[in-house]
Amino acid sequence: MVRCDDRPPYLILYRVIELKRLTKRYGDTLAVDDLSFNVEPGHVTGFLGPNGAGKSTTMRLILGLDSPTSGEALVNGRRYTSLSRPMREVGALLDASAVHGGRSAYNHLLCLARTNDISATRVSEVLQQVGLAGVARKRVGGFSLGMKQRLGIAAALLGDPGTLMFDEPVNGLDPDGVRWIRDLMRSLAKQGRTVLLSSHLMSEMALTAERIIIVGRGKLITEATVAELTERYPSLEDAYLALTASSVEYGAAR
Amino acid sequence: MRAIMSSEWLKLRSVTSTYQAIGVAALTVVLGMVWTFYVSGLADERGSLRAAAPEQGFLPLVQISLAVLGVLAITAEQASGMIRTTLTAVPKRGTLLLAKAGVVAAVTFVAANSIIILTYVTSRLMAGDRHLQFNESSVANDLPMLLASGLSVTVLALVGLGLGVATRSTAAALVSVVSLLFVLPGIANYLPAPWNTRVAALMLPNLVPQIADQRLSRRLGDGFLPPWAALLVLATYAIVALAAGFYLFRRRDA
Amino acid sequence: MSVLASEWLKVRTVRSSYLALGLSLGGILLGIAVAWAAVGMYDSTTPERQAHASIADLEEVVLIVPQLCMGVLGVLTITSEYTTGLIRTSLAIVPRRWPVLAGKSAIVGLLGLVTGPLVVFGTYFAARLMIGDRFRGSYTTPLLDKLPTLVTSSLSVVVFALLGLGLGATLRSTAGAITILVGLVYVIPIIVGNLPEPWSERLGSVQIGALPREITGDDLTHSVYGSLLPPVAAAIVLIAYAVLPLLAGAWLMRRRDA
Repeated sequence: MVRCDDRPPYLILYRVIELKRLTKRYGDTLAVDDLSFNVEPGHVTGFLGPNGAGKSTTMRLILGLDSPTSGEALVNGRRYTSLSRPMREVGALLDASAVHGGRSAYNHLLCLARTNDISATRVSEVLQQVGLAGVARKRVGGFSLGMKQRLGIAAALLGDPGTLMFDEPVNGLDPDGVRWIRDLMRSLAKQGRTVLLSSHLMSEMALTAERIIIVGRGKLITEATVAELTERYPSLEDAYLALTASSVEYGAAR
Repeated sequence: MRAIMSSEWLKLRSVTSTYQAIGVAALTVVLGMVWTFYVSGLADERGSLRAAAPEQGFLPLVQISLAVLGVLAITAEQASGMIRTTLTAVPKRGTLLLAKAGVVAAVTFVAANSIIILTYVTSRLMAGDRHLQFNESSVANDLPMLLASGLSVTVLALVGLGLGVATRSTAAALVSVVSLLFVLPGIANYLPAPWNTRVAALMLPNLVPQIADQRLSRRLGDGFLPPWAALLVLATYAIVALAAGFYLFRRRDA
Repeated sequence: MSVLASEWLKVRTVRSSYLALGLSLGGILLGIAVAWAAVGMYDSTTPERQAHASIADLEEVVLIVPQLCMGVLGVLTITSEYTTGLIRTSLAIVPRRWPVLAGKSAIVGLLGLVTGPLVVFGTYFAARLMIGDRFRGSYTTPLLDKLPTLVTSSLSVVVFALLGLGLGATLRSTAGAITILVGLVYVIPIIVGNLPEPWSERLGSVQIGALPREITGDDLTHSVYGSLLPPVAAAIVLIAYAVLPLLAGAWLMRRRDA
């Protein structure tokens, strides 16, 4: 069930994110309410919902940053916090601007790489991959939001993980970057990885994702393929708006 | 653990605030030389005088600057949100805190002792065989005081780290460190006897002379802790702060 | 005026402001605790020892608490905006930069003006009430004689608040500004106090801790401070501590990109 270390990622058959009745309460508000779903490898899974629906909270719960009030979130059948080299199994981009502005891009990534015994060569490799090799020695503080997004994606890719999670990765990217992200997501999924992607850009999501999970007010609203949704509604955007119509309220913005 | 410590070491090395903190602390060497030059000139006029040892007089400068280093080791990450990225790379929070504490302790111990010993050596060399009082005792006699001074700096840095973890705020942690180092000992002086001596003997800066088995001050007399007990109290400061930090760090959502 | 209202709202809506104010007022409790301990000691000792017992001015002892807290509040009102990037929003709304700093100065200064007297006079009256004619009657001097000292001590809190703000605006770093603030209050006086005469006395006279008592003409020869300055000069230097960093901060804010 868990990936074998000596095999390249595309040979791995079963690798998922698994949510079991996940619940998170902040004070009076239920940010995530009894949420259960699985994310499977081989395609991009879109994670949709209005602002404050609990998408980011769910991702933080999966990564063990917040601890659930009840239920659990598993990655490869284990809790994230029990992984000894988590970056090699899961890569995540939550908040691209959450970096120390005084550090260079290269050093930022090397700090992360060292914790998981990832080589410095790999750091240069991912910097090349995301197109930041030219500014690798520049202070991150001077980066634009788009460059920070690329840096965050580089960090997620560092450990060559089988599972990837991206929270709004296209924020601040230019059309070129948006296109690049789309191709990257799809190629990562095609390699057999599990990709969970949250975004508000419906047209973009329609082009990138194959399966869609929609949440509202912390609850699961729909789990379906893009094809199924576009069959029932004129477009993915229409589907989204119709399905979330009753849950657009900013209950637990965190 | 080694991997995480090497990452933490790189984190410290790759931001300017570390160099600024050590640089300000290292001003002590220069100030010590200016001081010795000045009192030497006076001694040449007057024959002899009683001057304070520069590595003791300027110790607060070393203590506060390197305590800032300890505070920033965690609060800089919390302020920028980098802590969430760090925790996805190292989800085991106890290990992370331990690695941070290890690196902060090692860096501040080496830096503080280098600065203190360098100040000691340059000032004694400059003083030559003038009668300045501070240069008239043997190295063996001074050594306990030097080591205790260096140790107190490390403890303060660890207290700063622990309080930084606990308060998640640079300002709050710094104010707490300043309270321990300056405000509370100052107020303890004003307590009516014999409480002034009893309370003051437990105050962090006053533990240094007690570890070296020397007089506290003219006003407070000898203190009453034997060296081993003073050493124990000093260690307790760091342990309590780190334990409080760890307790909150483990329970809280990041 | 709207800048003022907006800056007031900013201070009013963050937790750290309340923490700083609360801790400042905690200075009174600290004073009461020391007074309580002192009274207990005094009452349980023999009359001949009572005759020699003395007590420090408790409002002076605890003064550092509001000074430090309001100084840190001053620092945070500007550096927290730099940390979060809010400063760019603030400067976009009020593009001319000095009104932003002026608005912050007014608010922070006002808070110091409220907190300082509250803590100083609160501690003084509490101590006076508790100590009565104990300790050779040091707390029975007429209020009018004490008034200049109490007032200048109170006002020094305003200077600390503005000094913190100025340092924060100049350095844009919480850690840097607080370290320098602490350096000015604690580290430099210790160093200066260790200097041989006449420099110890000369430099000791311009230390921020010495100035309030030089203004009231107290003798400071038994401390690390000096008392060479006449009251007017001391007042000017004290004001300079508040104003110069603010001017430096305003000048740098104008020149620097946000």
